[in-house]
Amino acid sequence: MSALFLFFAIASCLGAVLVVISQSVVRMAFWLVVSLGSVAALFFLADADFVGAAQLLIYVGGTLVLLVFGVMLTASGPYMKIETSPGETAIAGVVGSLFLFMVISSTPSGSAQLTLDEDGHTVVKRTGDWEAIHDAVKPATSTPDDGSFDDKSDGNTLRPIGWALLGLRPDRVDITRETEAGKKKEAADPASGPTAAPGYLLPFEIASVHLLVVLIGAAYLARAKRRSDEAS
Amino acid sequence: MTETGELLRNLLMTAWLLPLAGFVVEIFFGFGLFSKNPRHSKGAAWCAVGCIGTGFVCSLIALLVWVNKTGGHDTYEADKGVEKGWMSVIADHNHGLHPHGDGEHAEHSEHEDGDKDHAAGGEQGHEAEGDTDSHDDKDAHAKPHNEEASIEGGEWQLASVTAEESEEHSETEDSRSAAEFPTAFSGRLYTLGEFGSLIVSLDYYIDSLTIVMFAMVTLIATCIHLFAIGYMSDELTDDYVDHFAHTSDGKHVHRPGRFYRFFAFLSLFCFSMLGLVLAGNIFQVFVFWELVGICSFLLIGFYTERKSASDAANKAFIMNRVGDFGFLIGLMVLWTYFGTFNFADINDEGQVTGGLFSMISRSTEGEDLGNVRVDEDGAVLITSPEGEVLQDADGNNRTIPYALLVVAGLGVFGGCIGKSAQFPLQTWLPDAMEGPTPVSALVHSATMVAAGVYLTGRFYPMFTAEVLLTIAYIGGITLFVAATIAIVATDIKKVLAYSTISQLGYMMLGLGVFGWAAGLLHLITHAFFKSLMFLCSGSVIHGCHHEQEMPKMGGLLKKMPITAICMLIGVLAIAGCPLFLGLHFSGYHSKDAIVASALAFSEKNPGHFLLFALPLITAGITSFYMFRLWFMTFWGKPRDQHVYDHAHESPWIMCVPLLILAPFAWLCAYGGDQGDLYVMLTKDAPAHIENGVTAVGDGVVLPEIQEMYNQHEAAGLWALTSAGIGFVLAFALYGMNLVNLDEMKKNLGAAHGFLANKWHFDDLYDGLFMRPAHKVAAFCAWVDRTIFDTTLHFLARLMVIIAQWDRIFDEKVVDGFVNLIASATGDFGERLRVFQTGRVRQYVMFIVVGVVILFAVVFSTFPG
Amino acid sequence: MATLNAYLLVGAVLFVCGVICMATKRNGIGVLMGVELVLNGANVNFVAFSKFTSLGLDGQVFSLFIIVLAAAEAAVALAIALNFYNNHLTIDVDRGNKLKG
Repeated sequence: MSALFLFFAIASCLGAVLVVISQSVVRMAFWLVVSLGSVAALFFLADADFVGAAQLLIYVGGTLVLLVFGVMLTASGPYMKIETSPGETAIAGVVGSLFLFMVISSTPSGSAQLTLDEDGHTVVKRTGDWEAIHDAVKPATSTPDDGSFDDKSDGNTLRPIGWALLGLRPDRVDITRETEAGKKKEAADPASGPTAAPGYLLPFEIASVHLLVVLIGAAYLARAKRRSDEAS
Repeated sequence: MTETGELLRNLLMTAWLLPLAGFVVEIFFGFGLFSKNPRHSKGAAWCAVGCIGTGFVCSLIALLVWVNKTGGHDTYEADKGVEKGWMSVIADHNHGLHPHGDGEHAEHSEHEDGDKDHAAGGEQGHEAEGDTDSHDDKDAHAKPHNEEASIEGGEWQLASVTAEESEEHSETEDSRSAAEFPTAFSGRLYTLGEFGSLIVSLDYYIDSLTIVMFAMVTLIATCIHLFAIGYMSDELTDDYVDHFAHTSDGKHVHRPGRFYRFFAFLSLFCFSMLGLVLAGNIFQVFVFWELVGICSFLLIGFYTERKSASDAANKAFIMNRVGDFGFLIGLMVLWTYFGTFNFADINDEGQVTGGLFSMISRSTEGEDLGNVRVDEDGAVLITSPEGEVLQDADGNNRTIPYALLVVAGLGVFGGCIGKSAQFPLQTWLPDAMEGPTPVSALVHSATMVAAGVYLTGRFYPMFTAEVLLTIAYIGGITLFVAATIAIVATDIKKVLAYSTISQLGYMMLGLGVFGWAAGLLHLITHAFFKSLMFLCSGSVIHGCHHEQEMPKMGGLLKKMPITAICMLIGVLAIAGCPLFLGLHFSGYHSKDAIVASALAFSEKNPGHFLLFALPLITAGITSFYMFRLWFMTFWGKPRDQHVYDHAHESPWIMCVPLLILAPFAWLCAYGGDQGDLYVMLTKDAPAHIENGVTAVGDGVVLPEIQEMYNQHEAAGLWALTSAGIGFVLAFALYGMNLVNLDEMKKNLGAAHGFLANKWHFDDLYDGLFMRPAHKVAAFCAWVDRTIFDTTLHFLARLMVIIAQWDRIFDEKVVDGFVNLIASATGDFGERLRVFQTGRVRQYVMFIVVGVVILFAVVFSTFPG
Repeated sequence: MATLNAYLLVGAVLFVCGVICMATKRNGIGVLMGVELVLNGANVNFVAFSKFTSLGLDGQVFSLFIIVLAAAEAAVALAIALNFYNNHLTIDVDRGNKLKG
């Protein structure tokens, strides 16, 4: 497992770096494919199967094709290259290194701990590390053991995220019920009705409409027009 | 409101408002609308004549309707108890009580110009035959009537008048005689505004006095309009040369003619005057009172380039303001205590009920104070028309202190003094002769100056005995003073002006001695003969090419016979000349009535003998100076051959008005106190004059009307004697030249100088008011210049210095600060624009660097 | 090995690479690719937190939305890029410096 993770992590990072380094747009697109595909694999490894599939379908299958189309439409010659000045590259390298260092150093490695106080709220204590936090907090995707819902034997199915879109959160421990039932952890029963958490159905719908609008807008923007530059 | 009332209202409103419409048309469109050559157009004049002529026709119809409706019964009944003011008295009387209930009818005649009718007095049968104006068939129902017997028998009952315009009305006479008919119509035309309980409105009040005044004013105004078309015709030019006005370099003033404007002003005046007569509340009277004042101002100052004219206009206006101040005080008192301005109010049924006039209850019983009901504190009770004492919100009787009632009366009379040029405000009227002669005839003799007398008569119920005595004495002084000045005046218009003042004094005296009807009768007759004389003088002036000095005239009888004869009629009328067959001149009747009233008064009050002596002596003086005028102008030999040679009779348009007015001046009072005019006037007389006023303490006794009638014979004889002496003197001095006038003038130099200087009234006012005012003004100017100006200049300089410092502060500190901020912002922007490279990639870099720096700062600030 | 920090490290690298890409590429399409990389770095973080913390499925749902919005953004950005190309006859973003202060 960790070997696979390591492989894909390195692949995605390397792809990204090569995107930056490459001078040819087409090569950049290729390395982008590599990087995004590896990220999709990482998603699979993180038990986010649906997101990974969507990543593959939309990014690698859709957006990248779109980008290649863009390359072809805007290329004034085959293998078009627009060179970046070395000074800029150097500055960008330095700044990027600094940025990377800053981001990495800001991760709370081993310095914070998430605990639950008596009211059940998460409290960050900067004493532990991520492992401690992981131990303190019940794994988000852990499922009840009785197998009544989302049986592990079925594999990592789309059911949880489908429920989530509808507002039913089987992954959530109903804290209220838990306290009433004498600290006994129970799975949220879908049959017992939706919890207080809102669903994502409306944002999902909005996103779909948004896409439609974007398609129309893009088509409008991209239509051929006579320009003053052409005249001159 | 009955149909008759509405008809009368509509007729009089038409007559009233038409001149206003005419004014608007003339002043806005008179120039240029009527003709292609506006300065030469008479369109405005004919417009004005049309308006006032139509107004006259309306007034005449109203008069006929009125006479027709009121003719069947009498409003006066000697045996009736307390009459309620001027209110309608529906007398269900018995004809048998009145021996001459079937009087002769008033009649009218068509004149050759067809625009006028004349309600000439038809009297008893034998006299009516002498009425040359009447052409109708005489109904043969006039009963033989013994005038003397009726008077002596206590039946002073006025002759009833029936009128019929034509034969077809005669069969309705009997039914009409029994009809109930109110004698005063009043109502609201338009509410201008309500301020709390104060309602300012346009009302109308129509009684016989209103009707008579309307007919008189419109008739005279129509004649004078016609006359003015001829008289003012020299204004019909683009280049009018005013020989009496000089520019600074000594040349005559040249200006465009102002023909249309003159007639616009005349129309406005007619509107104002008729509005004054029609007014139904005292505030409305005041408004139109001021309006006629404005018109007078405009017309006196018509030749505004002449300094004398503009001065005279100012003088007239200012002196009127003095009187109007009193008027205002009177109004305030009335409003405060009575809460209304209305003469009469209208109740729910549309009947006329009590207004201001009925709020003072006249009574002959109880604790009277000069015939006025008072309470135990001596305050005058305010009553309803039914005679019940009104009560205020607290249940107390509403009263007005007697002294304040006197103040109110004196205040209102103060306005009348100013308007009617009574002593001591009489000096403006002679100066007002600076206006064109038609103006003098219309405004300053016949109508406007008579408005004061009219208001005194109209407001009679509000005057207490003390006020009446004041009125009488004011009138007495005025009539004597003015008459004496008229003796020595040489300007033909000035003589007439002083005569006007004198005659107005007669009217006031008549009113003051309780001769209400006598005073108002003289108002009407005087209006006719004085307007006639003024028009004649205008004709003379016009004929003599604007020569007004009588010493330069003489012998003009041959040159202008029509004018001379008409003037003679006027002179005879004002002198009070009787004639055979009862065809006495109108002045005989009216002056006789006044002298009779005065005689009755002075018999009751021997202490006030002067009030009889003054008019009696002045009757002689009047006769003297009027004949002097006529003899100097028309008789004897020409004194100035140049003037005589160029004199000519006036054109027809100026002679026709003379010929129209002459019969009126002669015969309008036909029949005297039995005549139609007198009867009509007295129909609505204030009720309390009938029984006189008994004395309270050492107050005056006002005579009963009956006693005045008893004095007619004696008074007539006295007055006639006096006038005869005057005529003989005048004929001897000026007709036959028995005495050398220059010698006489030299011998009586002191007296002549005194009179020629108008009793030094102008000098007196000059010394009393003008010089002190100048002194005070000079002192004020000195204070202004030395103290206030110095202080102000110092303050101003201080201000300038402060302002200079302020400016420095402003420029250096405030502006500097603001400029600093601005330049700093500008500099900052200049530096900042370096970063605005326009290159997107650089922006990304900036963001990244920014984020890095931000995080670095955060981490360094919160370590761990 | 597959710890939260490892995921976060991958996300950070992707993110920084995207930013560098945006900052250095003169080709407009390259800039767009940088944007995609940045968004992907964020996605990795979301999914990682979804797996290792109590964020739960919310993280996955969020990353889904990001993917969708990135696609929309790419479409619009490409349209803009095409317009830019039509106007300037090149895709060099440095030519679009009309807003220089």
